[in-house]
Amino acid sequence: MNGPHTYTDGHQPARRTFLKQIASLFAVPFAVSPIAACNTSTDNRHITGSMAGANAATGHLLRTGNFPAATKTLDTEILIVGGGATGLSAKRWLEQHGQNNVLLLELDKQPGGNSVAGANSVSAYPWGAHYMTLPDTTNTDLISFLRSAGIITSFDSNGLPVYNEYYLCHDPEERLYINGHWQEGLVPRFGTGSTDRLQTERFLKETERLKHAVGNDGQPCFAIPLDTSSADEEYRRLDNITFDQYLTENGYTSRYLRWYLEYCCKDDYGSTLHQTSAWAGLHYFASRKGRAANALSSAVLTWPEGNAFLINALKHQAPDNVRTNMLVHNLELTAGGVLVQCYNAASRSCTTIRARKVLLCTPQYITKRIVGTLQYPASAPSYAPWVVANVTLDRFPASSGFPLCWDNVIYGQESVGYVNARHQNLGHLPGSVVTYYLPVTGDDTLASRRSIRELPYTHWRDRVVQDLEFAHPGIRHRITNIDVWIWGHGMVRPSPGYIWSNARQAARQPIDNRVFFAHTDLSGISVFEEAFFQGVEAAKKILQTS
Amino acid sequence: MDRTAADSGLRRDQNILLFSVFAIATCGLVYELVAGTLASYLMGDSVTQFSTIIGTYLFSMGVGSWLSRYIEDHLLRWFILIEVLVGVVGGCSAPLLFLLFEHIASFRIILYSLVGITGILVGLEIPILMRILKANLAFKELVARVFTFDYIGALIASLIFPLVLVPYLGLIRASLLFGIINVSIAGLLLYRFDEAKPFRRSFSVTIVASVMLLLVAFVYADRIMTFSETLAFQDRVIFAKNTPYQRIVLTRNNRELRLFLNGNLQFSSADEYRYHEALVHPALHSLPHAQKVLILGGGDGLAAREILKYPNIDSITLVDLDPAMTRFFSSNTMLRRLNHDALLSPKLHVVNSDAFNWVKNSHDSFDLVVIDFPDPANYSIGKLYSSAFYEELHHILRERGIIVVQSTSPYVARKSYWCIAHTLQASGFITVPYHAYVPSFGEWGYIMAMEQYTWRTDNPLPTGLRYISNATIKDMLYFPPDMSELPTGINKLNNQALVNYFEDEWAPYIH
Ligand SMILES: Cc1cc2nc3c(=O)[nH]c(=O)nc-3n(C[C@H](O)[C@H](O)[C@H](O)COP(=O)(O)OP(=O)(O)OC[C@H]3O[C@@H](n4cnc5c(N)ncnc54)[C@H](O)[C@@H]3O)c2cc1C
Repeated sequence: MNGPHTYTDGHQPARRTFLKQIASLFAVPFAVSPIAACNTSTDNRHITGSMAGANAATGHLLRTGNFPAATKTLDTEILIVGGGATGLSAKRWLEQHGQNNVLLLELDKQPGGNSVAGANSVSAYPWGAHYMTLPDTTNTDLISFLRSAGIITSFDSNGLPVYNEYYLCHDPEERLYINGHWQEGLVPRFGTGSTDRLQTERFLKETERLKHAVGNDGQPCFAIPLDTSSADEEYRRLDNITFDQYLTENGYTSRYLRWYLEYCCKDDYGSTLHQTSAWAGLHYFASRKGRAANALSSAVLTWPEGNAFLINALKHQAPDNVRTNMLVHNLELTAGGVLVQCYNAASRSCTTIRARKVLLCTPQYITKRIVGTLQYPASAPSYAPWVVANVTLDRFPASSGFPLCWDNVIYGQESVGYVNARHQNLGHLPGSVVTYYLPVTGDDTLASRRSIRELPYTHWRDRVVQDLEFAHPGIRHRITNIDVWIWGHGMVRPSPGYIWSNARQAARQPIDNRVFFAHTDLSGISVFEEAFFQGVEAAKKILQTS
Repeated sequence: MDRTAADSGLRRDQNILLFSVFAIATCGLVYELVAGTLASYLMGDSVTQFSTIIGTYLFSMGVGSWLSRYIEDHLLRWFILIEVLVGVVGGCSAPLLFLLFEHIASFRIILYSLVGITGILVGLEIPILMRILKANLAFKELVARVFTFDYIGALIASLIFPLVLVPYLGLIRASLLFGIINVSIAGLLLYRFDEAKPFRRSFSVTIVASVMLLLVAFVYADRIMTFSETLAFQDRVIFAKNTPYQRIVLTRNNRELRLFLNGNLQFSSADEYRYHEALVHPALHSLPHAQKVLILGGGDGLAAREILKYPNIDSITLVDLDPAMTRFFSSNTMLRRLNHDALLSPKLHVVNSDAFNWVKNSHDSFDLVVIDFPDPANYSIGKLYSSAFYEELHHILRERGIIVVQSTSPYVARKSYWCIAHTLQASGFITVPYHAYVPSFGEWGYIMAMEQYTWRTDNPLPTGLRYISNATIKDMLYFPPDMSELPTGINKLNNQALVNYFEDEWAPYIH
């Protein structure tokens, strides 16, 4: 889970450590029970845990629409709906630019949206977003936020940011389990052939070229925020074909390379090569141009609690007037502004809010319901559901090959692997929490989302154990707890044609300069940088129209 | 004996022989699968391992079949003998390979020899068996039956290997179990055939002995793993314990005690005084007013022993991760004699905690900080040698205080050593590198770090030191050309440069 991966040579493990690792591989099933093996539910019964993230029920009230009559009224200058990364970025910006009458309503019991975190006695851990890449130095708004949050500690004599070393992902960063062995790095190398290597090198060389490519309007061809990318048709037309088509047309046939590229699409977009536009697929590799005084441009920032660290920093800089457990379910335009209805899930009462302006930082499938009778041209993107499991281990089993990293991926699985939440911890502990990520790549339909939701906890628990057992035989006996969170609409998918469609632009236009829209699904790529940009741009628009 | 009785006797014999075809085929394939799996576990690249092993095995079977022409008579006797041999060689192959992996440079030669021998023996068996059966069966019947059983055996092996053997028994036990089956069949044949009478007695002994051998190995399969480790120590292991953090092993011969953590030598009682005197005295003798000392790592209490030789020191804080380690060194009589009961001193205070976070969160301050961590052989220890960690030391160091860091061997790991020095410099310290000769380690390196250059070499030293004198200290400062400074990167959390240097430099010594 990372930006473009470096293609390094691994280290051969010393024979002795290797032997010991193997010994433990065989010893484990014996030590624990003479009849171990077979991944059945009964073998996993010792594992505690449950489904987490129960806000879906409140959210579904939107569909039924039965709310009690409002008993209270509140006034505010600006109302922000949705306390994800987008909403909090907008609020911070507004308050830092002189707006001190801003109210934010969040449906969940804590702000954060897809960037929330949990914690237990072993570690804090993310439930969704867990890292960000180094931003481009031209992304000054974001850079100054990172500076104010202590993530950038200073600038060197060339003006390059110096990042806080506790937050830069520590070495070793990533490994891949392939052909029965953990190799360093995620680009498949162990047991691959020369065609695979040649094609991989060719692909990486091409994306390196695209990184520096500039369109006929002088803009970089692939940039973050993506709206600052060039409008040059030569590149934008890549948005109309699938990444799969692009690879075929360019003779990339290696199954290892294709697996790797699909892994990258799944990891960042929750979509397959067929579901991702070629523009977005290349964007993943060609857009990350961050520079730092003390890190490579491929470095990432991460914390045990994941991007909840960024959420807390945003909130810390604009702490007041954030109300949680508030479901906004309707709004209408009035003479003086906007009348907004919201339901407090804790007290089961309704409040009416009179605002001069409203910024909706909710995903469009929700926005569409909130705006009710207003003519809102939702662009109806496709979303990738995600299943995330936090797995607590009392000890981490030894494994053959490269040692435990921050990001650990298993070749050939549907899951995109697991992240070690304690990686950034400085201390030694035998146990850990790992966060397992599974994008659900089926078609985005109500029925398929419902079928995921209806599967019982034990199904997901056994699924997670089975996937981990593949690379770590016997690991089930080290697992004490697994909690599972299902994101029905986890990430917007950059499907072919979506990013540069008119529909996406139309869905971002304010209505009557009173109702504004911002969310990562209006960008097409779901990452923190885009959320921040969405929030800040909307805030700027609001300030301009004041 | 009437005719019918004789017939049925023959049929029964035939069935036993055909059953043994089946068993041989199963066992043979199981050995081959065991070897293939083990080789891919040990050496990686399963495709290559499996295909070369299958190739070797099939080819050796061919060799065996060809060799069978040289066996003229005593067919049954040969058959039984070969059966026993297959059982012993095949059965012991997995445990042998496990034991030898660590010790034999040309592991592959052993691997392919074992596969080859098993192949030749199995290859010998089928032709011999067909010749035994030839007397009683028409050729077409014979071929049909023998090969049917042969292939059924192979099918069974290929199914039970992944489904039953590996998950339920593991490789070592699977290989031994099939060895026992092979040898038992030899026993069965020995008793069912009258022709075996003349050699029954002598063979019985061999068979019983072989079965015993395999059975013992089967029962102690787990110990074989541990044994492969004890072989790595020359001396008698007198204490071994797995803690959640490490494996502690203490060995002893008539001259010395040796302590190993995760298989790495920490000290030998014969010359540890050199190591610990060199660690403590150059820094501490230059701080006549020092009162408070911090030791990070060093749960053996040996650095503390040296520090307690200064009456001006009134408090030592020792931070060691592993409570088992400090407990061991404050309770075991031999070790207490070695550290002069340092860990029981009223001036000493043990904290079992992780050093990085302890330092980061500490509000205390010290005149001397002694850093005696294990070598940076893995990424979690590598963090304790990072610039981020060294920067945290500023806030716990008193004015004019000194830090001393054990810094691996500047001779073996020259880059690693200077990388530690450069990392300390990049973290805002002035450094004084020095080294000592410790016979059981070789040339060993240390680095003193301080905020201003206040270090002196000529203050009085405690009496009774065996290695350090004012002259020794001056000597230790000189680095001959083969250990002298060279450019290196800085060890940071996000590059772990040191672990990579260390791995490269020590790798030739580990194999
Ligand atoms: C599994 C997973 C892993 C991810 N990993 C990463 C990663 O590693 N790095 C990265 O940069 N990005 C990652 N992302 C993308 C992540 O979505 C974005 O980084 C970012 O958090 C999106 O923020 P947002 O504010 O646009 O949307 P959201 O997080 O969707 O915020 C919308 C908010 O609105 C609230 N809301 C909804 N309806 C209502 C209502 N009616 N009334 C009031 N409030 C409402 C929601 O509760 C939510 O808090 C990941 C996403 C998922 C699902």
